[in-house]
Amino acid sequence: MTSEAELDWKDIIHRCFRCGYCKFTYDYNDFNCPSYKKHRFETYSTGGRLWLIYGVINGDLQWSENLANVLYSCPTCGNCMENCRFEKFNFLLVDMIEAARAEATKSGFCPEKQKVLVERATNPEMWNPYGEPNSDNEALKKEYDLPDEAEWVYFIGCTSNYRQQNLRDATLRLLKKTGIDFTLVDEHCCTSPMLRTGQVDCASDFMNYNIARIKNAGASKVVTSCAGCYRTLLKDYEKFGADLGFEVYHTGELIKKLLNDGKIKIASNYDKVITYHDPCHLGRHMDMYEVPREVIKQIPGIKFVEMERIRENAWCCGAGGGVKIGYPDWALEISKERLEEAKETGAAVLTSMCPFCKTNLSDANETFNMGFEVLDLIEILDQLDIEILE
Amino acid sequence: MTKKEVILTKLENIVGQDFVSNKPEDLFIYSQDSGTSLPRPLDYVIMPRTVEQVQSIVRLANEEKIPIVPMGGGMTLSGLTIPVKGGIVVDMKRMDRIIKINEMSRYALIEAGVTSGKLKSYLQRKFPNLQASIPDAPPSITIAGNVLIHGSGFLSQKYGDHGDTINGLEVVLPNGELARLGSCAVSDFWFTRGPIPDLIGLFVSSFGTLGIATKLSIKLYPKPKLRDLVVGVFDDINAIPDLVLNLTHSELVEDILLAIQDKPNWMKGHIFALVFINGNTEEELNRKNEALKKIYQGVKGRQMKLPPRMKDFFLEKPIFYSTTADFRKGGGFEYVGAMLPLKKIPEALTKGSLISSKHGIIPTMGCRVIGKGHNILFFISYAFNRADPKDIQNARNALEDTNKAVLDMGGIPWKAELNAQKLILDKLDDKYKKLFKSIRSSLDPNGIMNPGNWEIG
Repeated sequence: MTSEAELDWKDIIHRCFRCGYCKFTYDYNDFNCPSYKKHRFETYSTGGRLWLIYGVINGDLQWSENLANVLYSCPTCGNCMENCRFEKFNFLLVDMIEAARAEATKSGFCPEKQKVLVERATNPEMWNPYGEPNSDNEALKKEYDLPDEAEWVYFIGCTSNYRQQNLRDATLRLLKKTGIDFTLVDEHCCTSPMLRTGQVDCASDFMNYNIARIKNAGASKVVTSCAGCYRTLLKDYEKFGADLGFEVYHTGELIKKLLNDGKIKIASNYDKVITYHDPCHLGRHMDMYEVPREVIKQIPGIKFVEMERIRENAWCCGAGGGVKIGYPDWALEISKERLEEAKETGAAVLTSMCPFCKTNLSDANETFNMGFEVLDLIEILDQLDIEILE
Repeated sequence: MTKKEVILTKLENIVGQDFVSNKPEDLFIYSQDSGTSLPRPLDYVIMPRTVEQVQSIVRLANEEKIPIVPMGGGMTLSGLTIPVKGGIVVDMKRMDRIIKINEMSRYALIEAGVTSGKLKSYLQRKFPNLQASIPDAPPSITIAGNVLIHGSGFLSQKYGDHGDTINGLEVVLPNGELARLGSCAVSDFWFTRGPIPDLIGLFVSSFGTLGIATKLSIKLYPKPKLRDLVVGVFDDINAIPDLVLNLTHSELVEDILLAIQDKPNWMKGHIFALVFINGNTEEELNRKNEALKKIYQGVKGRQMKLPPRMKDFFLEKPIFYSTTADFRKGGGFEYVGAMLPLKKIPEALTKGSLISSKHGIIPTMGCRVIGKGHNILFFISYAFNRADPKDIQNARNALEDTNKAVLDMGGIPWKAELNAQKLILDKLDDKYKKLFKSIRSSLDPNGIMNPGNWEIG
């Protein structure tokens, strides 16, 4: 966060009235803040967190392990941003929590589990938060016959590259099928795990590195299948003063554009009942709700059913904001609630457009034996015939 | 182990480790509310899930002689759920089941932690022909907390304050015993308070000093299909009592709110009547609308047309004036709510304006008519900047002046904070005090229930 933005939030944080709208669904039927719903102490509502942060700012509270734990027990899903009645907070609440996490980190209170993310990502053998040996993606370039320079770069993202290779490969196949001119780069962590957990010291270096790699590939456009990378590239790089110099697309946007421009057509049926989970980083953070739905609706044979909490009102999968690594059991509980909601629709397939959501939803699906086929929308499209029209 | 650690362990044994805390950050949050009260320390916060757990907590508090403070939404703004003498805050919001809706007898049986948002939404989804009277507060307030402080809402003009909507109450008494009050003490139906000695009133506005409510039945009302707002503008404050009399006598209206404020500038010098009407057909609404115009004209007022967006804002229930809470760009807001006789409205408006101006606060006042004008809930808002201690003290001073003025006019401050309680007690009849003290000491000989509130020497 820039110093100017930091001044802004510190100047207004005391204006939270703790009215509690931030906890709810749109119609107040239930609590939609995963953290408050779990812990139930007022402390764990967004309002509670703002009061704690203000308490630290004005010296009433000191940083402690417990206090940091309250701040980190939040998947930063952004439900509070949608429901807060104080309009100045609507776009700032998650930023304020992340900025406070950065303060906690500076004061030495970043929790150990979240620290690991950055220790791995900054390891020159890895450059990713999963602790896997770095893939420079040269083997993939060879396998898919990709050039060194191209109009597009497919920014795979660490989750797809190291945990959801099915999605990575499906995306690669689908991009090949569409005929666009694309390549891969030796990407490093996009910085999302750093920013979300307040470990921001080396973020700029990673951003500059990734931008340079993309530019070196001669690309003017980047496409990513990861909602977290998408938000980070499009929103956070700018906040850190980075000059992108290229356009950023989510795979959903690219596919929709190709379909709408009449460049491709889905030429086979998908005869299953599916429902769609809005990833927080795509939906509430980036306001992208219709794109995936418009793509789904163009798939022949599909029966699309909606869950009760969707779009701005969606229930989080529970993986974001460092919760998956920090509180793995709770992350699964949050996903279980989403799967139970999906069950009520009668869908057999739960789809989304975020590898991190897919990971957590799949883990919960397996742990609680919920019986879904959990697939990214790109994986569904990869199963279908794509006809090139031009 | 220290004594505090021993008690923490005992509390953990009652509700589990996850729902009791003595961690500094939790105690920090529960030591203060959004009003002007200074933070006051507490020792534990606990969130029971069952009646039995509440009973066990109270029994433990009694054995150890630890103060205990029940809390609903914690939104009174007057510090009523901030312990005065430390101890345990019992946050009731995990007891949030809607147990039953009786459509025929029109009541809802709910646990004490059900929020107004949840009940409103539940009725809309499952019983669209029924409604509860919801206060103009955020949806995070609890129904129990609101009815037990004589709260009021958008149906209070027709049906009385929310204390009157209680049909039945289940309370854990200070000795841990469970009592059911109202018809539920006799039968399985929670449909009425009588015809047996009515003890429910003891628990209303006693601020948790006599027990902890765990269940309650509140009245529900038919929900007409249509609702509309007919705003009237008046320039003579002395005409307001007649306006209210004529409106209530007409039996045409659902809710009557009066608003007087100096900002924005176009509002200064006028009294705005926000009169809500309902019906099942457009014809019915039109007829009422026409009748209201005549009533307004009869007291030298006029109807004001609202832009649709503004009208929709007011028609949303519950309304929360978040901008009012932030007038001073400081997130702090408290108001004197006062129960006043109707004839005192002009005087209250004049005095309220003077007190606000004296303290450099933009006059922001209003009233809700309760029970056909039997009672007026008058309020003067004092927003303040939470980041400015002087501004908070200024608002506190304004509240004190207002409380005194209200009592001088023959009214009574509502959901009175500690200072206002003292002012009320100074004026309260000695026999009333003696009776209340006797009831309280009989029920709570160890003085564990929200001590410091309604403290009679």
